Amino acid sequence: MLRRAVLFSMLVATAAACSRNEPPQEPIPPTLPDTAGEGARRAAEQARQDSIRRAEEERRAAEAATARARSILEEMVFFDYDDSNLRPDAQEALARKVAVLRANPNVTLRITGHADERGSIEYNLALGLRRANSVRDYLTGFGISASRFTTETMGEDRPLDPASNETAWARNRRAEFTITGGGERLVAPGM
Amino acid sequence: MRVIGARIWVALGLLVGTAAAVAAQDPEAPKGIELAAQYQTRTQPLLAVRPLGAPVDLVGTAQTIQEILTRDLDYSDRFRIFETPSSLASGPIDYAAWNSARVVYVVDGSVEPSGDGGFSLRVTVHDIPYAEAKPTRTYALPSSDDPDFRMAVHAVSDEIVRDITGEPGAAATRIVFVRQNRGSNDLMIVDSDGENLRRLTGTEGLIYSPAWAPDGSRIAYTLQGEGTSQLFERDMRTGRIRTLPAPRSQLIMTPEYSRDGSKLAFAASINDQVELFEADVATGRFQQITRGPAYSFSPSYSPDGTRIAFNSNRLGNPHIYVMPSGGGGATLITPFVSGQRGYYTSPQWAPSGTQITFHGHWNSRGTYHVFVADANRPLSQIRQLTTEGNNEDPSWAPDGRHIVYTASGGGRNGLYVVDVQSGRVRQLAQGAGLRMADWSPTLVRTSGLSSGQ
Repeated sequence: MLRRAVLFSMLVATAAACSRNEPPQEPIPPTLPDTAGEGARRAAEQARQDSIRRAEEERRAAEAATARARSILEEMVFFDYDDSNLRPDAQEALARKVAVLRANPNVTLRITGHADERGSIEYNLALGLRRANSVRDYLTGFGISASRFTTETMGEDRPLDPASNETAWARNRRAEFTITGGGERLVAPGM
Repeated sequence: MRVIGARIWVALGLLVGTAAAVAAQDPEAPKGIELAAQYQTRTQPLLAVRPLGAPVDLVGTAQTIQEILTRDLDYSDRFRIFETPSSLASGPIDYAAWNSARVVYVVDGSVEPSGDGGFSLRVTVHDIPYAEAKPTRTYALPSSDDPDFRMAVHAVSDEIVRDITGEPGAAATRIVFVRQNRGSNDLMIVDSDGENLRRLTGTEGLIYSPAWAPDGSRIAYTLQGEGTSQLFERDMRTGRIRTLPAPRSQLIMTPEYSRDGSKLAFAASINDQVELFEADVATGRFQQITRGPAYSFSPSYSPDGTRIAFNSNRLGNPHIYVMPSGGGGATLITPFVSGQRGYYTSPQWAPSGTQITFHGHWNSRGTYHVFVADANRPLSQIRQLTTEGNNEDPSWAPDGRHIVYTASGGGRNGLYVVDVQSGRVRQLAQGAGLRMADWSPTLVRTSGLSSGQ
């Protein structure tokens, strides 16, 4: 009998540990004898539960907005071989960033240009820098201040895909974006 | 009576023959490119290094020295090595017997303790067809566990080459290079014979373009870090590292000293372009010597310091140019064919001053190969030295006839050395991601005391 009780309490403890990540839930109040104030008390309790739920929903919405804005800002753009011109798909991705940057005026970005492994190491360092600068120039063309961007190059030495084939090269010719300031709480652009 | 390395020579000859045939069949190849690796094994005289005489306690050291000398003389590519038969391994030099084996030079010598923990090495070179001995030289060597021991023996081989050919070898040298290491780069160094491979430094950033100062005491290199780019110089004796003056830039790369050590040229990004700068080493003052609209990088001084070979993409693709030191009108060196995406990069001026090596390809479909161009005849025929896989980042040895480069693909991965004259190739260091090698000047010189015959 005692052993069964210990086992049961261990199960409860485990379940409690597992549910730690879920939103806090109020313990259900013990059932009391029916009195005159019972209805009012239930209504107040309901209102309290609703406000907690709303706060939780708002928090989740803000987190989702931050995550969405962050993913827009961090989305890489890709280039054609030996080229720093922005393709239509890259221009679309950058236009989405412009909206986020306008909605979050404190955000600063580091733009890192990369190249595929073909060509000389030195040339690819220069090409990576030109790609990063090309991205920066496109963004500042929308009126975003150049002071919000730093650019750098990693040449061919930080590939996404180390393989030596067309698929890998296409993924490696890219600009990456790192949020360097103001990224703790982001507002998603109006949708 | 075996000729060491005969199998390698034959195998290389076959490879080159095949590649030459392929190149000859390609109808689009420009006329200005010559596949120039010709294997002239018959022109090289046979040479033997006899076992060195030594007291009992120095027999092991004597054997080590014989091995180092033999390999250095082999790698000098001026001789074919002949293994000494036991019948000729000791006793007086039997000129008639060596002559009937067609051996031209016999290196003979002995090792004796010198009292200070080191020893002396006596070397006599015998010219077999003339049946005469050159003057015997005596060299002081440190003990075999001294870190300078191997380099001291390499210096002796360089003197033997000078004694025979009039020009010194390049054995007493090292090669610095960069090794890719999971997103960062290590600075590495190896002796000219592939021994003593070790890491000099490694960081979280990307190290690029190591370059020897002409006296071999320092190495300049760049570091591309998180948002920064810096130019450093490492003292090779103390290991101390200092920052060299450079403009504020997102990208500083390809430093190279002038041959007298007074100037350092490098490339740096400025206003979205990459331009060449020249610094006065003594004062640290620098000035911009190219002005866009294109990238200019990889400067390399002519030996007399009056000209700079460099890389520019002002025609669209990178090509090799030469301009006056300090800036001025540039002359195109590499063949430019309109409509073909020729791509030539990473030039380095030969110690002789007459040649420039670089890598590239004449068409974007091709793999990269190492070339040599005549520095004084722009747009003339260029010679292709490699045939298999990709071959990049060539750098001259101080003997002006060997070039170290990075090979990848075609069954090869690592640093290789090609002899420009014979076309013979050997592996220096094996592994993927070994790049940007720079061959040192001669690091140790020894004259040896001539003691007559």
